[in-house]
Amino acid sequence: MRYKTGKVALSGINMDIPQGSFVYLIGESGAGKSTLLKMMYGGIRPTSGQLEVQGTTIRDASEHQIRALRQRTGIIFQGNRLLHSRTVFENVALPLRAQGWNAERLLPRVEKVLSFVGLKDRLWSYPETLSGGEQQRVAIARAMLSNPPLILADEPTGNLDDDTARHVLDILSALNKLGTTIIMATHDLHLLTSHPGDVVQLHKGVLVTGRRQRRNP
Amino acid sequence: MSVIHHSLMRLPGGWQLPPFGIHQVLALVIVAVALWSVGIIWLALQGGEQWVGTWQDEIKVHVYVDRNQQETMATLQENIMDIDGVDHVRLVSDEETQAWMEKWLGGEGLDAVSFSQHLPASLEVMLEEPRVATVLDDIQDVALAQGAEINEDELELVEAGDVLGTIQNLAWFATTILALAMALIVSNTLRMILLARAEEVHLMRLMGAKEWFVRLPFVLEGVLLGVGAGFTAWLLMWPLVWFTYDWQSNIGIDLSGWMLFLPLIFGGALVGGLGALIATTNIVSPETDS
Repeated sequence: MRYKTGKVALSGINMDIPQGSFVYLIGESGAGKSTLLKMMYGGIRPTSGQLEVQGTTIRDASEHQIRALRQRTGIIFQGNRLLHSRTVFENVALPLRAQGWNAERLLPRVEKVLSFVGLKDRLWSYPETLSGGEQQRVAIARAMLSNPPLILADEPTGNLDDDTARHVLDILSALNKLGTTIIMATHDLHLLTSHPGDVVQLHKGVLVTGRRQRRNP
Repeated sequence: MSVIHHSLMRLPGGWQLPPFGIHQVLALVIVAVALWSVGIIWLALQGGEQWVGTWQDEIKVHVYVDRNQQETMATLQENIMDIDGVDHVRLVSDEETQAWMEKWLGGEGLDAVSFSQHLPASLEVMLEEPRVATVLDDIQDVALAQGAEINEDELELVEAGDVLGTIQNLAWFATTILALAMALIVSNTLRMILLARAEEVHLMRLMGAKEWFVRLPFVLEGVLLGVGAGFTAWLLMWPLVWFTYDWQSNIGIDLSGWMLFLPLIFGGALVGGLGALIATTNIVSPETDS
């Protein structure tokens, strides 16, 4: 993956992540973790090589295919990116609202996912009235709303204390046990001991270690 | 953080209509004033058309000959018929003259027959469409040469009709220019709203929303703004109609504000929709230029 400026962001990565995995993407800042995640939802297209996510070849995919892929992918952004002028309900409902669901159908679904993350009673609150951990749980609820087979999480515990971070990881692990593939970029290496998963380490855009790494023939 | 202060309208289920804040209100006022100006132009044209009457559709000119010179009537009729642009010349019968006189006297029991005998004989001249530019001058010249007279009031009405035609073209031009200006005002307002809601638009795209779904609220907001401005402009028409009521009665016209209702509403919706389309033509979000 090469940016327009000529800088190479990712290079020589060859790996296969099966459905149902829990994968940590680790590496220093600028290692290419976020770039790799963005490529997985079609935010950036690889300039060379092949990347296939849920049967969609990102490099050659049409806009329609990218939209369809995004509808099947939950994204937890760095800094959670909640809309502060909207209620928790509206924030969580966003993915299915974008697919044209009406409010009557959305309400029970949103209540269900908020129950899963323990925030059902905050349905009509505004995000700024929630703690950092609660906001991150709202972001997780939003990502899981459409029951996607894949959740991409970019530093979901970045601004959280250890206990809250572990709680967020508990929720993601529970989702993973239900069959959802979780790919999570993180700096919090201590979480790997309490919540084990496959580790993919990047350094300056190059794959250093990865349990799912596939050797070239 | 958004710098626009919104008054949010809540709908069942927690949804909100597109925020209607100070920028939209200002745009609504400006567009309403512009639509009001357009409405005034067309209201004035409506009055002008009523004043000119049916002349614009079928132009007739009457030529009068003194009854003691009636022997020249046939020659005059032929000479007028020979003028380029004259479609038909007809001698108005005495019965028609008497009937007109009775109508003019208003059935007061006066002797219309004897009154009508004092009226000159008249020729009714109908003109070809499109009208030849010199035809009225030619008729006047021929009439004067044979000692006849042409109805000057009718000539003035024809000239007024011509002026109205020119004014109508100018009105269309002004309407088009103002419509474009209104569309740009709506577009500029919606661009500001789009900037304030860029994050939401970006998120929706990242969650796989179709482009029409992302743009539709803004297009609806533009149309709504235009309809609101159109309705406001229509309401503002009425004081003008009422304040000029006496003047309208004096010159025999009756302006109707109702006639402008649908044009102003649909016109507003059109410029609002056009402005919204201009504003949403190219909404760029990061990570979407794939």
